[in-house]
Amino acid sequence: MSNGSGIRVAALADIPQGEGIAIDKAVTGTADDIALLRDTDDSVYALDDTCTHETASLADGWVEGGFVECPLHSSKFCLKNGEVQGLPATKNACPHRVEVRDGEVYLFPGESP
Amino acid sequence: MTERVVIVGGGIAGVSTAASLRAGGFDGDVTLVDSGDFPYDRPPLSKDFLTGTKDVKEIALQPSRWYDDQRVRLINRTTVTALRPGDGAVELGDGRLLRADRVVLATGGAAARLPVPGVGGERVHVLRTADDADRLRPALAPGARVLVVGAGLIGAEVASTAVRLGCEVVLVDPVAVPLAAALGPELAAWLHALHTRHRVTAVQAAVESFVDRPEGIEVGLGGVTRLYDAVVLGVGMVPCTELARAAGLEVDRGIIVDERHVTSNPAVLAVGDPARMRQVPRTEHWEAAQHDGARAAATLLGAPDPAPAAPWFWTDRHGLHIEAVGHMEAAAQTVLRGSYDDPSFAVFGLRDGLVVAAASVDDPAAVRAARRLIDRRVRVAADRLADPAVNLRGLLRG
Ligand SMILES: Cc1cc2nc3c(=O)[nH]c(=O)nc-3n(C[C@H](O)[C@H](O)[C@H](O)COP(=O)(O)OP(=O)(O)OC[C@H]3O[C@@H](n4cnc5c(N)ncnc54)[C@H](O)[C@@H]3O)c2cc1C
Ligand code: FES
Repeated sequence: MSNGSGIRVAALADIPQGEGIAIDKAVTGTADDIALLRDTDDSVYALDDTCTHETASLADGWVEGGFVECPLHSSKFCLKNGEVQGLPATKNACPHRVEVRDGEVYLFPGESP
Repeated sequence: MTERVVIVGGGIAGVSTAASLRAGGFDGDVTLVDSGDFPYDRPPLSKDFLTGTKDVKEIALQPSRWYDDQRVRLINRTTVTALRPGDGAVELGDGRLLRADRVVLATGGAAARLPVPGVGGERVHVLRTADDADRLRPALAPGARVLVVGAGLIGAEVASTAVRLGCEVVLVDPVAVPLAAALGPELAAWLHALHTRHRVTAVQAAVESFVDRPEGIEVGLGGVTRLYDAVVLGVGMVPCTELARAAGLEVDRGIIVDERHVTSNPAVLAVGDPARMRQVPRTEHWEAAQHDGARAAATLLGAPDPAPAAPWFWTDRHGLHIEAVGHMEAAAQTVLRGSYDDPSFAVFGLRDGLVVAAASVDDPAAVRAARRLIDRRVRVAADRLADPAVNLRGLLRG
């Protein structure tokens, strides 16, 4: 799905530093909910929310140093491209493009970052 | 120079060694020999694999193309029968020799059996491999009377899975409160009591005998006998040390390694469940085995040792996710964050103003924070940890 200006899904202030929030798939029009993840340097990324290993929500994960750590079994995913860094997950997470403009977070579901 | 590495055993420790070698830039030959069909993950065996929710392909440790992509030669359904460090080779079950400059033993362990008469009977199960789980699954039919022996991590998971599948489950252990050392006595007692709330009958006793009868298996328990349809033993594991022993390596309740995972023969390393550093008891947890692989790879590469991390494990029972990190037995004081009546809570163990351990029920974020507090040796006040209003990430910032 392409949308010139993206979907406004949250204010930056809604996402605590080092944490994530899940955006419902009804809003994003995607197959899975999307996790908006705010790194400790305040950059924001978006990945499919369900961990590719089992069922955990990456939005509940630990976001730090360019990675999100799954809350269930600690697999890590690169925030920029969703690449998996550690077992037990073996599949990459699907990344989506995000833009932060004037403290508002815009999501471009399905567009690669 | 190391050009050919042979890894014996494709569990998480062996696969992690291979992956870490390549991630660290190793360009030589990497061969992984495993006796199973392909390397798979064990924790699901007592959980989603046992219920049938996941099949064996879904618990593969790596997708099959990974081995080609990473240039890891996988020799499956094959056993290494002897190490020949002197000849720079290992011997395979079919008599073939594989050249190896360095060998990594990642042989894992076998499920322990009790020294009780009748323990080899048809209705007695253990759970270490996918084959074990395949054999056990049909025995866990609705209404089946199942005795689980051993209320530690695996026994408790099997009991909880079996009751969910509709079995009548009795869980027996000679210890009143299993896992007290790992989780602290209070949390361990709370978790053990949970069995009763989920219709598992928990009994404190030792199993005395098994007798196969046409109508079931008769088990002697605390002086009386009872009939069951199946028995599952969750009584620990026996490290696979035969290869090491036969090759003359030092073995003492595990294959003895130094802090860089080198055994008493410099050409041979050992990782995962069977490896043990002299001063430390063996750990039998997934992540410990994974870290061992990364450290062994660093040794082979001549790279610096990855930073040590507090030991961590998780377990799932009765729909709850439990995690623990660090050494609870080393704590001088424990602090509860939340309450045992809450849907989620955590316990921290402290010593000299430092967090040394934590355990949580459905609160993995607390354990992730604790893990960093432990590894970074951050000083924290007990009352701050106890206060659920205090953000644990904030404590990390000091
Ligand atoms: C049912 C179950 C549930 C578990 N749940 C959890 C959990 O929830 N959380 C947790 O932290 N840990 C859990 N664990 C523990 C964890 O799975 C182990 O610590 C981990 O698997 C150890 O990995 P390893 O690579 O050392 O050994 P293993 O996984 O035992 O792998 C060793 C491999 O080597 C092969 N092998 C052995 N000898 C030879 C030979 N001579 N030639 C060729 N191949 C050989 C074996 O076939 C095996 O595939 C669980 C374990 C089991 C059994
Ligand atoms: S669910 Fe994410 S690592 Fe297991």
